Amino acid sequence: MKLKIQTIRDDHRIAWLTALAITIHIAEAALPSPLPGVKPGLANVVTLLCLLLYGWRIAAWVTVLRVVVGSLLLGSFLTPTFVLSLAGAAASVLVLGLAKQTGGSLLGPIGYSLLAALAHMAAQFFTAYTFFIPHEGLFHLLPILMTVAVVFGVVSGLITKQVLDRLEKMT
Amino acid sequence: MRTNSRTRFYATSVGILLFTLLAACERAPEVYQQQVLALGTLVDISIYGVDDQKAHAAVDAVTGQLEAIQHHWHAWQPSRLTEINAKLQAGETVTLAPDESRIFQQAIEVAKRSDYLFDPAIGKMVALWGFHSDERPVTPPPSRTEIQALLQQHPSMADLTLENNTLRSSNPAAQIDFGGFAKGIAIDLAIAELKRLGIDNAIVNAGGDLRVIGNKNGEPWRIGIRHPRASGVIASIETQGDESVYTSGDYERYFDYQGRRYHHIIDPRSGMPVQGVTSVTVIHDDAATAEAADKALFIAGASGFGKMTAQLSIGQAMLIDGQGTVYLTPAMAKRIHFEIDPKPKTIIVQP
Amino acid sequence: MKRGDYLVLALALALLPVLYFHFWNLGGRGEQVIIRSPNSSPQSYPLQQNRRIEVQGAKGPSIIEIHEGQVRFIDSPCQNKQCVLSGWLHSDGQIAACLPNGISIQVQGRDARYDTFNF
Repeated sequence: MKLKIQTIRDDHRIAWLTALAITIHIAEAALPSPLPGVKPGLANVVTLLCLLLYGWRIAAWVTVLRVVVGSLLLGSFLTPTFVLSLAGAAASVLVLGLAKQTGGSLLGPIGYSLLAALAHMAAQFFTAYTFFIPHEGLFHLLPILMTVAVVFGVVSGLITKQVLDRLEKMT
Repeated sequence: MRTNSRTRFYATSVGILLFTLLAACERAPEVYQQQVLALGTLVDISIYGVDDQKAHAAVDAVTGQLEAIQHHWHAWQPSRLTEINAKLQAGETVTLAPDESRIFQQAIEVAKRSDYLFDPAIGKMVALWGFHSDERPVTPPPSRTEIQALLQQHPSMADLTLENNTLRSSNPAAQIDFGGFAKGIAIDLAIAELKRLGIDNAIVNAGGDLRVIGNKNGEPWRIGIRHPRASGVIASIETQGDESVYTSGDYERYFDYQGRRYHHIIDPRSGMPVQGVTSVTVIHDDAATAEAADKALFIAGASGFGKMTAQLSIGQAMLIDGQGTVYLTPAMAKRIHFEIDPKPKTIIVQP
Repeated sequence: MKRGDYLVLALALALLPVLYFHFWNLGGRGEQVIIRSPNSSPQSYPLQQNRRIEVQGAKGPSIIEIHEGQVRFIDSPCQNKQCVLSGWLHSDGQIAACLPNGISIQVQGRDARYDTFNF
């Protein structure tokens, strides 16, 4: 059973996680991508941690902050990159929320992470297609992007699990 | 219960998300395409953005119009044009309808600007070469003497005077064959008709002469230009707005005789088919001007490419010579995308 | 790894080949030929299946053959037989036509690259 009352320690932790999320977001911007602006979504690790530790509301907040502040710092606020980040982040947060509500007991960090990664990539792709590049040929990239999503989904799931295990050991 | 409303929230938002994703997932923009036999060739009409029924009705309307134009300006079957030619030959003046007058006006102007390389008044020469029939019978090419005799009569658009819708000719040898120019006129009118019917995104393509309007929901139309010596595409263009693309080649209408090939683009100065050019592509606002310019450039050849494009104010043109070298105007060089590997040798000709 | 994790992983891994098959033409869907005749809608045939097709045109029937990924006119009721002389077509965009008969055959790769042709 989780404690409903947030401790000061938790506040610090949430702030720290947000900072981490922003850092990862900015680092990800340096990654090359077959489709410019579309990112694997490693920062989702933080979203997932927040979801599992502190609930959906916090996860959603941290994610929004991550995208907005991250893009402000990168100078990409309100650019296409920002729109894509936001779409991906929104999709993964919503899917994570639904997953937790409907099958929370059956899912571990890897399952959640995969779902988030798939939603993230799909949303980014279709946002890119609808608003920025309405070209048939774009679909040629979709299988690759989704493969990347699956790989990163599993990887971030494993990372999340490691972090959770360490936190367990600490408390 | 709190859990249920929460689930509903997530489920709805994910549902909306999925719905928007799937809506964006329209795999191919639905293009209605129909091919009709008109203007002596296969006319390919593509329409985007309206339902099939409306598109089909539009194609029928346009086909009727194309056929009417063809009958009106037919170069050898009894038509308004043959009637005009008979009168001109007899030295009579002809009263033209306003739209007929406009067409003659346009042709006379372009002919002049092209130094009469584009000259529809050489109908007799075209007939001499046997191109006044749907399928040319296997007969030898005209003799030197025959060609010389006709050249000496010097028929030309310059012999025509157009004043207040009346047309006169000072040379009975001048017989009008609008050829591709009439096709261009027809296409321009077809496009106008489609617009009138409320269609804003379409292609009307009569073999080598096409005009496009609009696009496929933001995605431009992509036109493949045929390779003059191989089957397949040599280059492609993505269209921008309302424009016409015209390509003519020495492979379109020709006949072979005793091992030699004679094609249908006759140089008015020599009375012979043009040598050394395999295809010319022109992009311009309207199809009729594009065709006239194309013909003039074909006859001007690689050496006259720069001068003629400037003279006719053609910003985008491409010429492929007998060796496969591609000559381009700067604007065309920016737009053209070669589809073959290795890319051909290109020369950009500054105006 | 919990039960749900395995399920999600299995679904994700199952999704991937579907995407590749659909968007990368890995299922061997291959190319097709579109045959157009006057006053009827275009008919398309896969090039993988050998067959002989008779198409009615303005002057009579044209015979078209598909054989091992290629297509050609075998015969047409026209004088010059330009269409037959065009020979075998096999790649995206290639087109042959019998103008007097109003029949055209056009090869199309799985992703139709061009909307129309200038020739």
